[in-house]
Amino acid sequence: MIRHLIGLLVLLVAGLVYPWIFPSALTVGVTILLFAGWATAWDILGGWAGQVSLGHASFVGIGAYFVAIGATEYALAPWWSILMAIAVAALLSLAWGRLTFKLHGPYFTLSTIAIAEILRLIAINEDWLTGGATGVFIDWMPTPFGIDLFAREAQYYLALVFAVGVMATIIWISRSRFGYQLRAVREDENSAMAAGIDPTRTKLKAFMLSASLTAVGGGIYGMMLSFLEPHILFYLLLSVQIALTGIIGGRGTIWGPLVGAVLLVSAGEIFRTSFAEANLLIYGILILLVILFLPSGIIGEFNRRLTRRLYARRAQG
Amino acid sequence: MPDALKAEGITVRFGGVVAVDNVSLSLQPKGILGLIGPNGAGKTTLFNAVTGFVPMDSGKVRFFDRDVSSEPPYKRAQAGMGRTFQTERPFEELTVLENVLVSAFLKEPRRKDAEKLAMEMLKRVELDDRYDQPAGDLNLARRRRLELAKALAIQPRVLFLDEVMAGLNPPALREMIGLVRRLSQEGLAILMVEHIMEAIIELSDHVIVLASGQKIAEGTPQEVTSNTQVIEAYLGTE
Amino acid sequence: MAELVSLLQNLSNGLLIGGVYAMIGVGLTLIFGVMRTINFAHGDFVVMGMYTAFVFNMILGWDPYFSLLVALPAGFLMGVLLERVVLAPIVDKPHETSLLATLGISLIIGNALLLIFGGESKSVHVDYASMALSLGEVKISVILLIAGGVTALVIGGLYLLLHYTEFGRSIRATAENRLGAELVGINTRRIQGAVFGLGMMLAMTAGVALIPLLFATPTATGPILTLKAFVVIVLGGLGRVGAAVAGGLVLGMVEVMGAAYIASAYRDAYGLLFFLIILLFKPEGLFGRSVKRV
Ligand SMILES: Nc1ncnc2c1ncn2[C@@H]1O[C@H](COP(=O)(O)OP(=O)(O)OP(=O)(O)O)[C@@H](O)[C@H]1O
Ligand SMILES: [Mg+2]
Repeated sequence: MIRHLIGLLVLLVAGLVYPWIFPSALTVGVTILLFAGWATAWDILGGWAGQVSLGHASFVGIGAYFVAIGATEYALAPWWSILMAIAVAALLSLAWGRLTFKLHGPYFTLSTIAIAEILRLIAINEDWLTGGATGVFIDWMPTPFGIDLFAREAQYYLALVFAVGVMATIIWISRSRFGYQLRAVREDENSAMAAGIDPTRTKLKAFMLSASLTAVGGGIYGMMLSFLEPHILFYLLLSVQIALTGIIGGRGTIWGPLVGAVLLVSAGEIFRTSFAEANLLIYGILILLVILFLPSGIIGEFNRRLTRRLYARRAQG
Repeated sequence: MPDALKAEGITVRFGGVVAVDNVSLSLQPKGILGLIGPNGAGKTTLFNAVTGFVPMDSGKVRFFDRDVSSEPPYKRAQAGMGRTFQTERPFEELTVLENVLVSAFLKEPRRKDAEKLAMEMLKRVELDDRYDQPAGDLNLARRRRLELAKALAIQPRVLFLDEVMAGLNPPALREMIGLVRRLSQEGLAILMVEHIMEAIIELSDHVIVLASGQKIAEGTPQEVTSNTQVIEAYLGTE
Repeated sequence: MAELVSLLQNLSNGLLIGGVYAMIGVGLTLIFGVMRTINFAHGDFVVMGMYTAFVFNMILGWDPYFSLLVALPAGFLMGVLLERVVLAPIVDKPHETSLLATLGISLIIGNALLLIFGGESKSVHVDYASMALSLGEVKISVILLIAGGVTALVIGGLYLLLHYTEFGRSIRATAENRLGAELVGINTRRIQGAVFGLGMMLAMTAGVALIPLLFATPTATGPILTLKAFVVIVLGGLGRVGAAVAGGLVLGMVEVMGAAYIASAYRDAYGLLFFLIILLFKPEGLFGRSVKRV
């Protein structure tokens, strides 16, 4: 626990000095922080509760679109739109989970793809709702305390708050009753029920929390893009990126998704010149390597070895 | 005082197989009820039906003064049915302490209290020295004890034990028998499925014999073991 | 009268498109039946078939179907290789693992194609592209007809293979009961490799048949086709070849009818919606016997 809180402090400090060291790479910074937050939020459902979703782009899209439509159509400040996006994401995931949690393993995963694709088609086709396939351009943002929310720097600090907030949430969860209920359900639903845990309810709570947090990041992403296109924001490949970031870093671990985000986003940056838009190639290669050689992910494998070593040392000495 | 557990006319079918056929049983508070029968007799299925893990085709289950027949298993656990699984299923990725913690959280929502309770339960089954070992690494005898600690940590009113003695070596068996007796003396009602006659005879105050899903005899351990039908049932199938 | 004509027109289009879907689905269901693997890269193999046809057409001016000479052996070899290197080591892992592994393969194929060929869509023009047979007022596209014929041929061949050869019987035995198959001396690991290779061949064939009809884009087309193939095999009932054919035809119909009579923008959504409904309420598929759920 102390270890994790120190880690969180280090993240915060590193996040605060980053703009001073890399003032020209703020966009990369925002991307890392958003992916760290999304992958961690995804992991509440995908890792801690063991339900692999490939539909989380829907919640990114909802967050981004609420901010954009709220600002352009109703002159609504992004914090209010994000609150609404949270509510909508929570309700949507509640309905979504109620419908699909009776499916297990890969069947659940397939159903998330199908639902997310349907939502994407709705976002593309329902012009009255989303502005349709041509997209929405955010032309106005409030300036609280004189801060220009269009400035990359402001967005960077918002993303930092988001990432640190999500990390703090997962640290709290890891110690709490809820966190143990999640792990129990993931490992064995029957044993979990024998301990008095309602698996469906637990998974629903995980999904709602995961979806709401993802939507918050989506709102910040919307501000960063300022031009939103439904076929990108609701796209399967964004869902895939979020999920793989969590899995490569280590499912069900506190620091795995963050490590995954740093690794994948910076690798994407480094290879951008040679791979251009094909930078998802790295995700493909890394996920294969992880599955074959580090099945619990980078941090997951590290933690396993650490647990065994600590026990062995205590048992001997 | 009502019975701790009263099951009436339980029937469970799997496709064409009638695994449990119209069986009734009752358990006194503080009593130990033994459930025996040859392999495939339907003991585990009956046990699962009573605890809610297998749907019943007909029958009723009362738990103290409450009808739990249509309640899901986790509600029955919350009401105080603590159970072990015949094929034990520890949460392999968690440590021994965390395994028990999951159950302890049911009655103790605060981490500190839950941890204390879990540690106490580990002491009871003498696993406390391994609290930080990954549960997947335990050997069979210790997995059994971990199962028991998990069931105890929900602070049950009735304990359901499915063959917790099977496969233990003689000293471990003696320990387990002693432990179950102490639990009973402390006021827990216990329903135990067991093949080991030594344990049944020593512990239970009432025994039910199942064969091919039907109750073929019941009574004190002495009555049951001298019953010719029972002897036939065992010799006939094994 | 005009309504009847358009209904018949839609029916025939649905049937023919469904035939192509069936060919994609058959490979996927074969793989699922034997390996219990949900092959997420299936659509990308279809796209590879499309690109193979495209390349040989561009360089040598071959008719797409001529490139099957290369596509079939190449597909088989790649399938066998992938099975050996990636899937065989994880057979005992939870089923999600193979889904994620094949997702990785899908990303690698899609992005490799993107690197090599660039992002713009590719297609092959053939002289018979715009030809149509007229049955009264109903027009039937020749390309679709050929594709339908190829599908029928391929599926017929597959049926013969599965039911009348030793190899086919081994495949069916492995799909039915793996342990049992091993006990009677079938090398199920080899069967798995061969089945994955066979599945890839079928996918590449479908790609070749599709290229005159459909644009190929490196990263986008694959996942869409994979999703359609899933819809096909879940509709029909998992793991059975005949059911996949039925599933393909149903999907073709649902899409064409939905587009014609509800709203064409949601063409892809009808199949997905239907897919969800089946998955949730009739998981053994429309035509399936009840299968043991994984
Ligand atoms: N999930 C199931 N599906 C189908 N049949 C089942 C299932 N569970 C048990 N059975 C069948 O029901 C019958 C009773 O099995 P059960 O496990 O209850 O016996 P048991 O008395 O506990 O045996 P053992 O002493 O071996 O543990 C057996 O014929 C078994 O094959
Ligand atoms: Mg049993």
